[in-house]
Amino acid sequence: VALSRAHSDGLELPDPAASKSPDRIPFFSQAETFDRLWSSIADRVNAVFDNGKFSHGRQVAEFERQLAQYTGARYAVGVNSGTDALVLLLRACGLRPGDGVVVPAYSFIATATSVVLAGGRPEFVDIDPVTYGMDPAGAADAVTADSRFVMPVHLFSQMADIAALLDVAEHHDLLVVEDSAEGIGMRRNGRHAGLHGVGGVLSFFPSKTLGAIGDAGAVLTDDPKVAELVSGLRHHGRFAATLDNFPGISTETALPGMNSKMDDIQAAVLSAKLVSLDDDIRRRARLAEAYRRRLGDIPGIVRIPEVVERKTESSAVYYVYLIEVERRDDLVEHLTRLGIGTEKFYPIPLHLQPCFSDLGYRKGDFPNAEAACERAVALPFYPDLRLDQVDRVCAAIREFFTGRTM
Amino acid sequence: VTCREIPFFPPELFEADRKVMLELIREIGTGPDQRFILGEYTREFENLLRNSLGAVDVIACGSGTSALGLVLTAMGIGEGAEVVVPSFGCAPLAASVANLGATPVFADVDPHRMVVDPDDVDRRITDRTKAIMPAHMFSVMADMPRLTEIAQRRGVRLVEDSAVAQGAMLRDVPAGLWGEAGVFSFVQVKSFGMPGEGGAVVTRDAEIGRIVRMLRNHGQDGGQRFLHHRVGYNSRFDEIQAAFQIHRFAGFPARLQRRATIADYYTERFAPLAASGVVPPPPGREGRCYYVYAVLADRRDELKNHLAERGIGSHVYYPVPLPKQPGFASRVTPGDRWPNADRASAKALALPIYPHLTDAQVEYIADAVCEFALT
Repeated sequence: VALSRAHSDGLELPDPAASKSPDRIPFFSQAETFDRLWSSIADRVNAVFDNGKFSHGRQVAEFERQLAQYTGARYAVGVNSGTDALVLLLRACGLRPGDGVVVPAYSFIATATSVVLAGGRPEFVDIDPVTYGMDPAGAADAVTADSRFVMPVHLFSQMADIAALLDVAEHHDLLVVEDSAEGIGMRRNGRHAGLHGVGGVLSFFPSKTLGAIGDAGAVLTDDPKVAELVSGLRHHGRFAATLDNFPGISTETALPGMNSKMDDIQAAVLSAKLVSLDDDIRRRARLAEAYRRRLGDIPGIVRIPEVVERKTESSAVYYVYLIEVERRDDLVEHLTRLGIGTEKFYPIPLHLQPCFSDLGYRKGDFPNAEAACERAVALPFYPDLRLDQVDRVCAAIREFFTGRTM
Repeated sequence: VTCREIPFFPPELFEADRKVMLELIREIGTGPDQRFILGEYTREFENLLRNSLGAVDVIACGSGTSALGLVLTAMGIGEGAEVVVPSFGCAPLAASVANLGATPVFADVDPHRMVVDPDDVDRRITDRTKAIMPAHMFSVMADMPRLTEIAQRRGVRLVEDSAVAQGAMLRDVPAGLWGEAGVFSFVQVKSFGMPGEGGAVVTRDAEIGRIVRMLRNHGQDGGQRFLHHRVGYNSRFDEIQAAFQIHRFAGFPARLQRRATIADYYTERFAPLAASGVVPPPPGREGRCYYVYAVLADRRDELKNHLAERGIGSHVYYPVPLPKQPGFASRVTPGDRWPNADRASAKALALPIYPHLTDAQVEYIADAVCEFALT
């Protein structure tokens, strides 16, 4: 009976644009990059097999060193995902049951679920409509007697207004923890995303600016105590040496921890890709400029990415190319028919997700977040994307809104 | 590997399949679908396990530890609940409960088999107890028939920590399907290990399966993306690992069989040593899976040194019982005791038992243990 049982599953939906047509433009691909880097990846994977420890091993240790060097973090701690990184970071920062964590209403769900998984309660704030980062004035208004943390998110192409948010945090005596999952390469005042408060995270989900071919993440911090706690909690609360050390699996547990160890094969892929990360980031900037030139004058497009000037030097990284449009769902359907992949980042704001219905928020609470959810669509965007593909995506959008491709 | 150098943790575990893994990584990394997590390979791997077990559902996830958390969450275990767990075992047994705000209540173990003692489980159930969570230990399945009876009689849920027992059968029911839900771990050293972290929830309850599927991927239902019904986890499965496990599945019974053959030999050689202070696990195949072969030795540390001097690695898995570890000690009643767990922590020593040990190596190890006990 079990043999033929059709069952629902948690698999991601197939990309609707994933027809086998050779000229489809997928939302994401790193196939050419992977192929180009193959000999370097294969060397590192072979080193993993030679060493014989396939998670939490020598390649992970090596990648942590490279990541610390790239970001300038004193400590980079490899874990299983960006989500786990947030949970571990919040726990390591001393989050107590019931603590309030001020988070934006517009982000990937992990921004808020990590707070709940760590034992806290998310307190939502609206976003700035241009940068999609947490609105500092809104953050100040959202602070309650329970608030102990503020967690800005750096989305898509630039950091939130971290200077203003640090002021809010100082004024209200809150710790700043950054959801910098998308923020690799983003810097403010020369300081990498994730290092402006107590610590931050990185996600290496495959489509990220630095992406694995599976789940992986990291915690970044300059604080030795936080780094030590995260390192122990990721391995069942064991605080002795466990990285690249088999017998460490029987060290006694000092705190109830998790298993959130990074796979060495993923670390091997990430190490190989990290070498050309800055080239990839420059390529992304050129692709963003190409999109900007082609999309700027199309009616029906409400917003294209705009990197705002901050008071201090800041460097943007185009991770996602997200535009806001009228008739978004119709446009997505049009592009899908033409074999062009898109993503709706994000269709439902966090405060209106069913999993947070018990928190008492309502439609209308955060108008900027809600408007973005109605209009936002992310276009194909990755270093392997070619300019003629950008041309085709933009022509298809122009055709949808004007009936003409030119 | 020579007779003089036998590490405890198996070396060159996947050497025969290294080329296969490299090819899979390249194929999936450059493939047209660019799907790396929870894709077709994962689905096929889940179906393979489900069909071979006769389970209603199998859900691949990030690790065996995470699988326990998914099951407990799906059962609604949380603040104020108590879950009875073994006092001797791996940290996730207690941490998975504590991380949900619930309280692990520790029961003592059987002095020889080292699995949880059903009578002590029964004694420790209170009106706050929501579940009991026995674990199979080393090579021995817990007494699932009696624990099933206790769960039914006392009206509590039954979670089976079968992380180490994939492939074991008890009364024709596979490990994992005695509980309402069970778990497997595929971390490299396990019987069906792989070159990375991963695990699975196995269940005979479709509703638990449905909820676990949502919980492992951020509370999404597998239909509409970015709609989150529940506060979920990121506990997913990588496609490269699923493809590798599919490739390795056909060889799993033979590897398990080789482990059991080695265990039979050890147990036969060690049976006469009981009077000399080295006690092997009970013999047999019923309710058994030889993931770890652990003897109870009166002079455990001396035996470990004796073996080390002869180039033989051994390992003390749980030198401190769970309720005495700093992470959990604050949660127990002062004066509470677990004498058999103390004894197991003081005496258990695990010997090498991986399938690619040669017969000569196995004999060499057995000789060394006998030499220690008899001189």
